[in-house]
Formats: sequence, structure tokens, C-alpha cells
Amino acid sequence: MDRDLLRPLARRVLSLSFVASIVLLFGFVFAVPGPPARRHPERIPVRFWHMWTAEWKDIVDRIVLRFNESQDRYEVVALSVPPSSNVDAKFLLAVAGGDPPDVMAQWKPIIPTWAESHMLRPLDDLMSPAERQRFFDEAYPVAKKIGVYENRLYGLPIGINVWALYYRPEHMREASLDPDKFPESLEELVLLGAKLDKKNAHGDIVRLGFLPGWFGMYAPVFGGGFYDWSARELTLDSPANLRCLTYLVECRKRLGLDVVTRFESAQNAGASVEWPFISGVFSITLDGQWRVEQLAKYAPGLEYRVAPIPPPAGGKRFAGSSDGNFMVVPVTAKRPDGAWEFIKFWSGLSDPERAAAFHTWGGWLPALSSVAKSKTYQDYLARYPSFRVFVDLLSSDNLAAPAPIPYQVFLADRITATDQAAMRGLVTPTDALRDLVRQVDEERQRRRVLHYGEP
Amino acid sequence: MRKELRRQLTGYAFVSPWLVGFVVFTLYPFLASIYFSLTRYDIVTPPRFVGLANYRFLAHDAVMWHALLLTFEYALVAVPLGIVVGVAIALLLNVEVRGVGIYRTIFYLPSIVPTVASTLVFIWILNPQIGLVNDLLGLVGIVGPAWLKEPGWTFVSLVLMSLWGVGGSIVVYLAALKDIPFFLYEAAVIDGAGVLSRLRHVTLPLLSPVIFFNLVMGVISAFQYFTQAYMLQDQLAPEEATRFYAVYLFERSWRYLDMGYASAMAWVLFLVIVVVTGLIFRTHRRWVHYGS
Repeated sequence: MDRDLLRPLARRVLSLSFVASIVLLFGFVFAVPGPPARRHPERIPVRFWHMWTAEWKDIVDRIVLRFNESQDRYEVVALSVPPSSNVDAKFLLAVAGGDPPDVMAQWKPIIPTWAESHMLRPLDDLMSPAERQRFFDEAYPVAKKIGVYENRLYGLPIGINVWALYYRPEHMREASLDPDKFPESLEELVLLGAKLDKKNAHGDIVRLGFLPGWFGMYAPVFGGGFYDWSARELTLDSPANLRCLTYLVECRKRLGLDVVTRFESAQNAGASVEWPFISGVFSITLDGQWRVEQLAKYAPGLEYRVAPIPPPAGGKRFAGSSDGNFMVVPVTAKRPDGAWEFIKFWSGLSDPERAAAFHTWGGWLPALSSVAKSKTYQDYLARYPSFRVFVDLLSSDNLAAPAPIPYQVFLADRITATDQAAMRGLVTPTDALRDLVRQVDEERQRRRVLHYGEP
Repeated sequence: MRKELRRQLTGYAFVSPWLVGFVVFTLYPFLASIYFSLTRYDIVTPPRFVGLANYRFLAHDAVMWHALLLTFEYALVAVPLGIVVGVAIALLLNVEVRGVGIYRTIFYLPSIVPTVASTLVFIWILNPQIGLVNDLLGLVGIVGPAWLKEPGWTFVSLVLMSLWGVGGSIVVYLAALKDIPFFLYEAAVIDGAGVLSRLRHVTLPLLSPVIFFNLVMGVISAFQYFTQAYMLQDQLAPEEATRFYAVYLFERSWRYLDMGYASAMAWVLFLVIVVVTGLIFRTHRRWVHYGS
């Protein structure tokens, strides 16, 4: 065929292919699956945001499904918004734009800040007097504090986080130590941990026996803490806090600040199966109650035990800091009543026995003692005896909740920075606490001048 | 006249999607932030006028000064280093050897890898105990540092990580190198110029407009440096080495809901960038040579 005849044909084919590929590209981009279709479009939708992903999201979906099965009025539509996706900014913009979710599960220290900014609806407005009474009668001491700001309840806990020590008995036997005799004091525990340490030829730690860290957690164990709930004031540089920080830094120095830093940065957070405790990198380590469920799932044959942090001389038993997962309702939520129904359902305020099952799915500690006492939960404790240590800790008055101050996030960040600076040996514990007080004072002064707390 | 007006209106109609987007999403927020910087504002409740209070507190904010200093240090080290490395690699890639197209692609590719992905990879590569870099250093008997845990080394790591994205500027330098007339080199050779003389008296002067462009753009983006530092903060890297100005601005705005304070910070940053860019422009007559 003549080449001149072919040329326009080829050009046309090329043009058509180009247009077709653009159409296909757009089709591909816009064919991203949207939210799943609602199962009960005739019911009132209650939009629920949460931050759980992967295996946790599946559990949340199961709870939502149970709620929807129990209802003929509301349908909860769940959306997982991972914490890494800047979920707080999304929530704030949704509230400001007047189209927020009806209810959100949170675990970050946001309640006082958001409540002060009039973003959250006090749950007292949604609770009946009987429900309110029941919550304050049945909630564990720390659960009563987590969601409160200015004597109003803005967040209802649906799971409490408590930390305790996980330890490997076979490591103790290896070192000719008796795993049945867990130390009664923190000082003894540190000495015992040193006997379990292992280093390689370069001096790098390959197994850490025990090293207390995390100022925020240990301060209450030393009888300190950051907030006096009765006097309603901060207690940042108390002698107990200074004693705690000094002790933690000294423990680190004994191993070598640089050596510990290198060891710690080699460990990942270990969200599930990759938790370094499972591989034996730690002999005794502090972690939350959710590890019990994970150990059963990922390392069913692993021998381990759990114990509360033993107090140092002059310290407190069954102490530490605690936080939790809680539900908040934005002030501009369109279906607050539906949101409250869902909160009651999940927390166990409406039926503790039913809610106990949800808590066992996620390995969550309930906020209400009635849930913990239910048959389902007691059966769970019989199956996982290690979990009982955490449930027992829940009743303690020595568990500290985050300070209910409107600059809670700022304070939490500064405490972490103080911890880091002292642990890396950049400043002495005394100077670190002095800096902490100065920074917080400056922030308070700034807030006073800018009329924070006033509408 | 009417026909001309209609022609102009048609033109504006065609560019209106961009114009609307610019006015709504850039110009309005830009101007609104001037007002917000004079208020206490948390997005949800209406702004409350506080005069110059945010600026007064900013002047005494030690954290802000530290963040600004760190950002200056980064701009001072990372931008010139990026230019030197970029020009050096572009010179090598300008040599016509077999497979040079493949080399050019290899050097360009990293610059299109998303920053978040490359930062995550670097976090592992720079791990002190199980990272590739310290493993390699170990082969020659050097005990590598805790790169992302010690303030000094964290800064060095961030500067090294910035070189990962140098491929974008290499392409620009390469294009400029191709644009240098060959007869200039011929003339220089006839005049007895060696390799270094040709580089100094021909290549670099004719490359200077592009270097100037990359310097200005590099400085502006260095002052807005955010993603890598923010990600490292999440990994508990030392705060004093990762709290850059933009990171602190983000912290104040979205973490503490201090939009007024953050707006004041943004305007201070804007003024700093204007002054620094202005200073660079003032010097350019001395060292930038336009071939024409």
C-alpha cells in the first residue's frame, strides 16, 4: 500500500490511542472504591470515625456490625482514619466546616484542648441522670478522670491502657535466678536485670535484662506525677519527680548512654508479631495489656509472666500512668443521640455482659467494673491469667491520668522532651526539670495574656 | 474595541479555573493570615483580636529562635552542598560515554521517589546497629554513630538525605551544559586553557544563571524544610536537631491549635525568605554571567 496513504491512518490510530489511554487513566483514577453501600439505608446514619487499622479495624467492624444488628433505629457507618493521616486536622476541619462525624474514638491527649475550643459536646448533656450515676459508680478511678475537663465529661472511656512488666522466666533460669521470686523493689529489679544483660564483642547490647525508662510512667511510681487532682495544680518539679528522673538517668549511665541509645534505635516499636520481647531481645520489659492477646496469637508457646512495677524506696505500689481509648461527640454532630446509643453499647453502660465480649476481642481493659465482673470477662481472665494483673491494677488509686489542663498536648510534648534531654545526658535531671517548669510557665503566661479560657 | 474586549474576556474565561483556584486557595488564605496573625484563633471559634501580642511572644520564644537558627544552618550547609554535588554529577553525566542515558536516568530516579518513602528507607539504612551504612563502616573498622539519635549526627544525616533528591537540579544543569557553545571551548583550548581553566572560565560562568536559579529555589525550599524532619521526630530523633521552623509552625498550628501564633510565625518566615532572597539577588550581578 502507498506510504502516503498509511501516514494519516497511523496518525489517527495514534490520536485515538492517546485519547483512549487518557480516558482509561481517568477511569482508573476515579474507579477507586468508595465507601461500602449501607446495609440499612432506611435507618438514621451515625457516622463514626476511629483510628484503628489492620487487625484492630476488623474488631471495630465486628462491634459496629453487632450494634447495627441490635438496632432498628440507627445504623453506625464506620470509617477508619489512621493516626498517620493527620486525623486530628481532618477532624478539626470537619467540625469547623459543620460536617463532622457524629462520634469519634480517640486516644490522644486532646480532650481539654478540644473542649476548651468548644469543639466537643459534653456527654453529660446526652446522659440521663441514671446513666451518669452509673458511670461514676462503676468506672475505675482512672477511667473517671480520663475524659473529664472542668468537671464535665467530654470523653467516655471504652478501654483503659495500663502498663506492667512482662518477663521471660527461662532467661532467669539461665542466670540461675528463681522466676517465682520476682523482686519486691525497683532497686532489686534493676540489679536482677543487670544479671540478664548480654553484649556482643563490640560491646553492643544484644539482650537487655531490664532498664527502667519513660519518665512519664515512672514518676507516679516514685510517688510523684505531674498533677495534683485535689489541689488542681501542676507538680512538675516535685522532689519525687526529681528523684525519679535522676534514678532513671543513673540506670542508663551504668550501661552507657551511647550503648543504650544504639540498642534502642535498633529496636522497632513491634506493633504485633515483631515485638522484640518475643524474639528474646528483652528479658523484662514494660508494655501494655494488649500484648497478652498478641502473645497468645503470635507466640502461643512462649513462656512469660506479668508483674506490676515494684516500687522503689519511698515509692508507691500499683502505680504508673494510664490513658485510654475514649469516645467524643463533636459539638456540631448531627445525630448526637445515635452517637450516645453507640457509646453506651460499646462501653457496656447499656449491657456489661454484651460489651465484655468486645473487650475480649481486642484485649481491652474495661472502664467499668461491671464489665470486668461479667461472666464473659471472667472466663477470659481464666483463659489468660496474665491479664488479671492489669485488671487488678485498674482498681489502684495510684494510676495517674493525664493532667486535665487545656494545654495538655503541649505539656505531654514537653515532658517527653525533658525525658529525652535528660536520658541522652544533654542536661542534668535538675536542669531538665527547671527547663520544663520554665517552658510551661511561659506557655501559661502567654495563654493568660491572649485570654485563653475566655470565650 | 468591543471585539478586542471580547477576545480578552475569552482569554480570561479560559484561564478562569486557575484564577479562581489562585484567588480562593492561595491569595485569600495569604491575606487572611495577616489578620489571623493578629488574633487568637483555633479554627472552630471565631478569631479574637489580640493586636501584636503574637509577634511580641514570638520575639521572646526561645524555641522559635532555635528553630530559625537550625533552619538557617540547614540552608547554609545543604543548599551549597546540593549545588556542588549537582553540578559535579551533571559534569560527569555530560561526558559522552556509552550508556550515559542509563546513568542519567539512574541519577534522576531518586528525585521522583516520594519523600516519605525515601525517608523511611533512610531510617533503616542509618540504623546504628542493623543499618547498611554502619555495616559498611564496620568493614573498614569504623564504629558508626547513632545517626538519627544524636543531635549532631541527625543534622548531618538530614543534609546527606537532602542529596538524595539532587537529580531534579542535575537535569537543569545538564540542559544548561548542553547549551554552552562548543566554539568557546575550542577557543579556550587554542588559547592553551586546561581542563580546570575551561571549567572555571567557561563552564561555570555560563552555568551561573542556572546555579543562581537553583540557589534561590533551594534557599526558599530549605526555609520551608519539613517532611523528613517531621518524620524523624516521630521516630524520637533528637528534638533540637529536627525542630525546624516549619515543623515548629506545624506543631503550633495543628497540634496546639494556635492558628494565630502560627500565622505570625508564617509571616516572619515569609519576611525572612524575602530578605534572604533579596540579599542573594543583590549579589548576583557580581557572579552571574548571561551569555547574551
